[in-house]
Amino acid sequence: MKVDEIRIGDIVGADNVSTTHETCMIYSKDVTSLPDMAYQIISPKFDVVTQPVDVPSLQNLVWYALDNNIPLVPRGNGTSGWGGSIPTRGGICVDLSSMSRILYFNEFEQAITVEPGITWRDLLAFLGRLGFTLPVYPSSATAATVGGFVASGGLGIGSTRHGNILKQVLGIEAILPNGKIVRLGKVMLDPKSDTLQEKIEEGNSWLSQELTAAGLGTPEQESKLITGTYGTLGIITKVTLKTIPNLQLVPFACSFYSMTDLVNVATKIISEAQPYYLRFLADNYTSKLRVLKGHELEEGKYVLTGALLDTIYQNEDNIERIQVITKEENGTTLDDKRAWFYWDERLYPLRIKRHGPSLVPAEMLAPLEMLPDILDETKAELQKSKVAIEGTLSNDGSSSFMVWILDDERKKISFTIGWQRSFQIAALAEKFGGLPYAVGLWNGRHAKKFYGDHTYKELKIMKKRLDPNNLMNPVKVFGGRVTAGRISTTFGFLVGFIIALMGGGFVPSLLGWEWLTQLMNSSLIQAFPVPLLLLVSFVGGFAGIAAIRLMTLNQALSIGIPLLRVLSKILRK
Amino acid sequence: MTKMDFLERYGQEDEPYVCASCGNCTLVCPVFRELKWESYGPRGKLHIVKSIIEGEGEFGEDFAHKIFLCNLCEHCTSVCTTGISLDRFWEVARAEVRQRGLMPKPAQFVLDSLKARGDIMWMGSADRLLWMEDIEAIVKDRVMKSAKVAYFLGCNVSLKSQLHDVARSMVKIMEYAEVDYTILGDKEICCGAPLGWAGNFEGINEMAEKNLELIHSLGVETVVFSCPSCIQTWSEYSRYLKEENDLELLTTSQYINRLVREGRLKFDEQPMVTVTYHDSCISARVLKVTEEPREIIEDIPGVYNVEMTPSRQSTRCCGAHGLLDVVDPVLSSRIAEMRLRDATVTPASRIITECPRCILAFDLAKFTTGYDMKVQDITQIVAESLSPNDVGGDEAK
Repeated sequence: MKVDEIRIGDIVGADNVSTTHETCMIYSKDVTSLPDMAYQIISPKFDVVTQPVDVPSLQNLVWYALDNNIPLVPRGNGTSGWGGSIPTRGGICVDLSSMSRILYFNEFEQAITVEPGITWRDLLAFLGRLGFTLPVYPSSATAATVGGFVASGGLGIGSTRHGNILKQVLGIEAILPNGKIVRLGKVMLDPKSDTLQEKIEEGNSWLSQELTAAGLGTPEQESKLITGTYGTLGIITKVTLKTIPNLQLVPFACSFYSMTDLVNVATKIISEAQPYYLRFLADNYTSKLRVLKGHELEEGKYVLTGALLDTIYQNEDNIERIQVITKEENGTTLDDKRAWFYWDERLYPLRIKRHGPSLVPAEMLAPLEMLPDILDETKAELQKSKVAIEGTLSNDGSSSFMVWILDDERKKISFTIGWQRSFQIAALAEKFGGLPYAVGLWNGRHAKKFYGDHTYKELKIMKKRLDPNNLMNPVKVFGGRVTAGRISTTFGFLVGFIIALMGGGFVPSLLGWEWLTQLMNSSLIQAFPVPLLLLVSFVGGFAGIAAIRLMTLNQALSIGIPLLRVLSKILRK
Repeated sequence: MTKMDFLERYGQEDEPYVCASCGNCTLVCPVFRELKWESYGPRGKLHIVKSIIEGEGEFGEDFAHKIFLCNLCEHCTSVCTTGISLDRFWEVARAEVRQRGLMPKPAQFVLDSLKARGDIMWMGSADRLLWMEDIEAIVKDRVMKSAKVAYFLGCNVSLKSQLHDVARSMVKIMEYAEVDYTILGDKEICCGAPLGWAGNFEGINEMAEKNLELIHSLGVETVVFSCPSCIQTWSEYSRYLKEENDLELLTTSQYINRLVREGRLKFDEQPMVTVTYHDSCISARVLKVTEEPREIIEDIPGVYNVEMTPSRQSTRCCGAHGLLDVVDPVLSSRIAEMRLRDATVTPASRIITECPRCILAFDLAKFTTGYDMKVQDITQIVAESLSPNDVGGDEAK
C-alpha cells in the first residue's frame, strides 16, 4: 500500500509520522509472539505509524484514510495479547499514547475524564494524591492505556467488587469511521474548555438518526458501540470513568493444597467480605515463580490472594472472617508481609515468561464453581506443554482463567504447531459453559456468543452503516478477508493445481469416460501443443489463489487450527 | 544474515525472547520520553535485535547509533517484568558495536583518551591536582599517605573546574571530623566505568586494578567516592574486589551520614533553605543509597527537603550518564531539562545530589531553560553548614 508520508505529516505533524521499517515493525507487535505462519493470513506490519496529539488532527487523519481507502488501527501501548492493535491489512497505525491529558476531575461527581493515551499507572498516581482511586484497572496498569483497556473490556484489579471495566465507563467520545465526532453516555468536561461542542452536536445528531434507523437507542444509551469493540466502530478520544475514595487497603493471601478448597474459600469470601480484588495462582504457576523459592507454604501450592478496600472497622472484621474460612477449608493464611508481596505482584503476571522464553496466552471466562474441573482438564489436555495458570475472580460468579503456555519461538516448527493450543483452550472453555476472555483478532469466531446474539447483531448492523468499507480496525471482531502471504498464496495455487490435475486426469478414467480422457490429453491449439489437462490444472491453481484471497480469517482458522492439531498429534507435541 | 553470536558469548541469547513486551521499560526510558518513538526505547530495541537475529534487519550504523542513545540509567532494568538485566544487555551490544567498528566518534574519543591519558577528557595526571589550589597546605600531606580512609574523586570532580568545590568540601568535612584519610592525587586514574559504557570490558579490570593496588598499598579499609558509577564499576568488574572482600566502598553521603551518626559533624542553623534531593540513577537503583542523604539533610537545622516526583528508586535520569552527554549532547541536555522541570515544580530553591554528572547536566539545563536554581553536591551543603565553633571548623577552607 502506498502512503503519502508528507500529506500525513501535514495532518498530524511531521514529527508525528514515521514510515521506517523498524518503527512500522515494532508498532505492529503486541505482547504475543506470533508464529511466522500467522503472517500468511495477516499483514506483517503497518505501512505508516502516526502519533496524533489532538482530536482535530485525528479527525483529519480519519478523513484522509477514508478518502484513500486506507485501513486505520488504533493503538495504546500494545500491552494486550488478543491482536486488537496489530495490523491485518497494513495501513495506518494510530498510536494514541501522545493524547494523554487529564481533562476533568470532580470529586463530588466522583468522575474523571481523560484522553485515551494516559496510562492507568499515571491516572492512579494522580487520583492517589487526591485521596481517590479507580474501581477497576488492568493488571497491565503499569503500561496499559485507558483507551486500550476500555476498547477491549475485561476484568482487572477491583473487578471482584466492581465487575467488568466497561461498567466503570460513564461516557466516551470517539471519532467514527466517517470522521464524525460523537459522545456516548455522559462525557464530563468543563464547558469553558470544551472546544468541540459544535462538532459533537453535529456528530451526535447524525448518529441519533442512524441509531434510530437501526432500531437502537440514543447516543447516551449506546456506549457499547465503542467500549469493548476494539476500535472497530470508532477511535476513542475521551473517556469519563467512575472514581472511588481511596479507603484503607488490606491485602491478604492464603495457600491451599487443592483448587477445590481454594474455590470454596473464594466463594465464601466473595459473598461475606465483598473483597476489592481476588486472584488465584495455580500450583503450576507458584512452582515456577523464582521469588517463591523456599516459601514452603506457597511454592507449588494453590494461592488465593486479594485485598479489601474499606473502612478500618469493616476490614478488621472481614480479615478475621477470612482467617476462619481459610482454616475451615484446610488452608493457611499467610502473614501480612506475604500478603503485601502478592498485592505488589498483581501487576506482574508476565513474570512467568522467563520460563519460556516465549508465551502463547490463552484466557477464558469461566464459572467460578467450574474452575477445579477446568483446571484438571486443561492440565490433561496440555500435559506435554509447560503451562502456568492463574486468574481473577469476579463478584458475579465468573472468573478469568489465564493459561500461560510456555514455549520457545526459536523452534519454528514446534512453535507453529503449538500455536493451536491457545484455540484449544477456547474450545475447552465452551465445553464448560465459558467463553474466550476476549475477542480481538483471533477469537472472532466466538464473537456472537461473546457479545450475545442480540448485541452482536446490533453491532454488526452499525458496523455496516458506520464503516461500509471496513477500514476501521478491519477483520477484528467482525472478521473479514485474510491478507494472503507468499506461502499461503503458493499453497492455494498448489492445492488448486493438484485438485484440478487429479480431477482431470484420474476421475474420467475411473468413471470410464474415454472421450474426456482423450480431450484432456489433446491439445486445443495445434501451434501450442500443451495438453488441455495442464491448462485445466493451471486454472485450478489460479482458482486456488482466488479461494485463498477470498477466504475470511475465521475460515482460515477453521481450516488451519484442526490441521495444526492433527500435526501436533502426529508429532506428539 | 547478520551474525549475532556475541549474544551467546555473553550469555544474553535468551533475553530478547524473554522480553514480555509489557512496555514498562519504554515508559520510564528517558530517551523514549524525549524522542517518543519506540525504536529508541528498550522494548523497541529488543524487537530490532530479534529482527536482526531472524535475518530481517541489519546490525548497521543506524542501529549502532541507537544503542548509544541510552543513559544506562538502570531504570528499564529496575522495572523489567521478566528480570532482564537490560543495562548489561546494552553494554554487551555496545561491545559488539565496537567490534564491528561502528562506534560513534565521540565515544571512540573517550576510549582513546582513556588509553592515552587515563581520563575521559584528554587531560593528564598533572591536571588532577588543580582542584587543590587554595587548600594545598592542607591536602599536600594527605596525598598517597597511609590511612584507613581513601577519598576517590573520579575524573569529573578532579578535572572539571565547576566540580572542584565538591572535592574541597569533602576535604573540609573530613578535616573537620578529623578523619585519617588519604587521596591518590595525580596517581589516581579513571575508575574504568566509561570503558564499559563504550563496550570495552577487557580494559575495566586493568584500570580498576591500577587504582586498587595503590589503595591497597596504603592500608586503606574504606574508600569514599564522589561518583557512584565508580563504585558500581569496581563492584562489578574488579577481580581483586571479588577475591578480597575486605574493602568497603561508600558514597560520600553514606560516609558523611556515618560521621553525623558518630557525632563527628555538628551543624549550624541555616537561614531557611528548601532543597529537593535528586537521587542519581546509580546511587538509588544500583547502590540503593536513598535514605542516607535525606537523613543528612534532615539533620542540618534550617534546611528542609521536599520530594520531587518521581524520586528514590523511581528517580529520573539527568541525561548525562552512559556517554549520552558526549554522543548526543543536545538530547542529553533535553533530558536534563525534563528532570529540572520536576524540581522547579517543587517549592525548593536548590537541588542537592551526589553525582558529579548530574550537577554538570543540571548546570547546563539551567542555562538552556533559564530556570534559576542552585545545584549542589551533598558535600557542599554539608561543608557550608558545619558549625565553625567545633575543632577543625573552617580551617580546612
